[in-house]
Amino acid sequence: MALIVAGVSHHTAPLELRERLVVAAGDTLAAAQRILDACHAREIVLLSTCNRTEVYAVEGDAEALPAIWELFSAQLGEDVSSIGYVRRDRDAVAHLYHVTAGMDSMILGEAQIHGQVRDAWERSRGASGAVLSRLFQSALMVGGRVRNETSIGRGAASTSSAAVQLASKIFGSLSGRSAMVLGAGEMAELALECLVNEGVRTAIVANRTHERAEALAERYQAQALHYDECWSRLPDVDLLICSTAAPHAIVGVQQIAGSLKGRGDRPLCILDIAVPRDVEPEVGALSNVFLYDLDDLRTVAASNLERRRDELPAAETVIGPEVEKYWEWLAGLAAVPVLRTFRTQMDQLRDSELTETLRKLDHLSPRDREAIEHFSRALMNKFLHEPSVRLRAAAANGRGLGVVDALRYLFDLRAADGASPAADDASESPAARER
Amino acid sequence: MIVIAHVIAITCYIAAAGLAATPFARPIPAPVRGVVALLSVGVSVHLVALLAYAWQFGEPPLTGLGPALSTAAFLVAVTLLVVEMLAHEVSLTLVTAPMAALVTIGAIASPMLPSPTASTGGASWLGLHIALSFLGLAAFAAAAAAGVMYLLESRELKSRKFGAIFRFFPPLETLDRVNHLAIVCGWIALTLGTALAIGYAIVYRDADHLKVIWGIAAWGAVTALTVGRVVAGWQSARAAIWSSAFFIAIIALYVAFRAIGPRAGEFL
Repeated sequence: MALIVAGVSHHTAPLELRERLVVAAGDTLAAAQRILDACHAREIVLLSTCNRTEVYAVEGDAEALPAIWELFSAQLGEDVSSIGYVRRDRDAVAHLYHVTAGMDSMILGEAQIHGQVRDAWERSRGASGAVLSRLFQSALMVGGRVRNETSIGRGAASTSSAAVQLASKIFGSLSGRSAMVLGAGEMAELALECLVNEGVRTAIVANRTHERAEALAERYQAQALHYDECWSRLPDVDLLICSTAAPHAIVGVQQIAGSLKGRGDRPLCILDIAVPRDVEPEVGALSNVFLYDLDDLRTVAASNLERRRDELPAAETVIGPEVEKYWEWLAGLAAVPVLRTFRTQMDQLRDSELTETLRKLDHLSPRDREAIEHFSRALMNKFLHEPSVRLRAAAANGRGLGVVDALRYLFDLRAADGASPAADDASESPAARER
Repeated sequence: MIVIAHVIAITCYIAAAGLAATPFARPIPAPVRGVVALLSVGVSVHLVALLAYAWQFGEPPLTGLGPALSTAAFLVAVTLLVVEMLAHEVSLTLVTAPMAALVTIGAIASPMLPSPTASTGGASWLGLHIALSFLGLAAFAAAAAAGVMYLLESRELKSRKFGAIFRFFPPLETLDRVNHLAIVCGWIALTLGTALAIGYAIVYRDADHLKVIWGIAAWGAVTALTVGRVVAGWQSARAAIWSSAFFIAIIALYVAFRAIGPRAGEFL
């Protein structure tokens, strides 16, 4: 038995390859079962997001990797092993902990992956077992700890979330605020979607082509305005997003200064995400006006990412001990079958020696023979009691691996067979094998 | 005992401000629990000091320069603690905790004795007047602190510098709301305190010119701010500028009046 993760991620493959390996949420269990059957693994969890498709497996007697690559290659239509990666045992545990904490994500520290890992585990439950369940449970716990105990998830790391962060620095929550979007192109739609998701109460779309404004407004339950009408509505607006394709600035000091008279001291946040810019830079000097362009949003996102990177060592200090903790648990799991093998082997030895002895003492009465046999069992139990107790204790307190190895060496224990992971021989368990 | 408790409270206030400043030095989450814990310890020890004073002198610590300053600092710290616990953030501590520490230092540097005028009659009336006035001044101080923070953050946001203030100060909207609430609460407390003072002066024919002028100036400032915010619709930068300016003016007036020479050991 070995713990293994094999997969393809944004580190190793471009989007056009990754998207062909994505498994839909509803197909996760069926796909996991297929992999389970193909590679004769004991347990499987399939994690598939837009940035990664990974198989976590507890191997059985056969190696799972060739079958996994074969299935992936069949789906991709080309050999996947050259763009795939494999982590085994402790490294596989550490890898999942990094993934769950967002440390392996395209945007460092992003939080979405935590839920995706949980969903993957829940959807694959029919194909998973004690080892992987414990692994994913601990990974979710570790991911939560990393997020709570470090700042790895703090601050916006994309330009759209940076826009929300900037606006939130002025207004607190955007819920209930009023926003106007100038333009009806792709960027304007993205901005509108973002605003609606943040709970903006009134969204207005103004465009030179009214039909486009209406179409966009209809999709997001916003209000469409003719471009010329929009200035009269500006005093009621908290957030103005400019994203037109105009070749020069279309929002000037005069238009904004005119609207400021009707809005009291309320701040106005202008996000100019157009290239070339839609807003004259002088607008930013007006009182209570906060003007930001695309470069500002990128600056905010980049500085947040930089700070997230600074948090990596702190996150590693959380993950390192947790990997050891999981590994010791697995070692404890390995101690149980070793103990069983130890006792079986000792009993066989006792039995053969007893048979030989009794053969030489054939004058003994059945009662005496029974007494000798009883004596041999009692003596063996006495001998084995203390080592058994100590081995269990060592496994429980995380020192199981060394003791298991010593026991196997000293008594030359052979492999045992067992159906459940707990019954696997220590010599084949991931924890023991790594030693 | 009273002085030692005050020193512990000062230490806690300064430590809370220091802890609140740590996210500016290195990228860590705002240490809300630590700051609130330090402020709680400071406020508790400060309360013990004030109770000890009351037990020793048989009257509340409201008259006399030292006791009055100590009570004012205590109320500032309590206001701060309540705001930080409700808002779950610590940036107001950066400004207000040092303010509370400074006023407490002023208190222990002054004679910790009650004013002789307190026992002339109507002590409870006078006590209530002083308590309400200090409560109003503490709220005024909180409004000014929120105003200063608003101006600092607004400046950083307008200049497109996304540094430590951008990361760790609360949104402008929050600071504006704290300013609004503090001004309204301060006005209510100061109005009641001033009304009691007028009543006291009429009934007991006891009034000090400097106190009257300063009290009316403080009340006038907070009233002007309240009218500006509630009636004229001041908010954002305008409210922040005026609340900070008025508070600084009132403190400057107090310093000037003390320089003119009030009776030794009195607040004014």
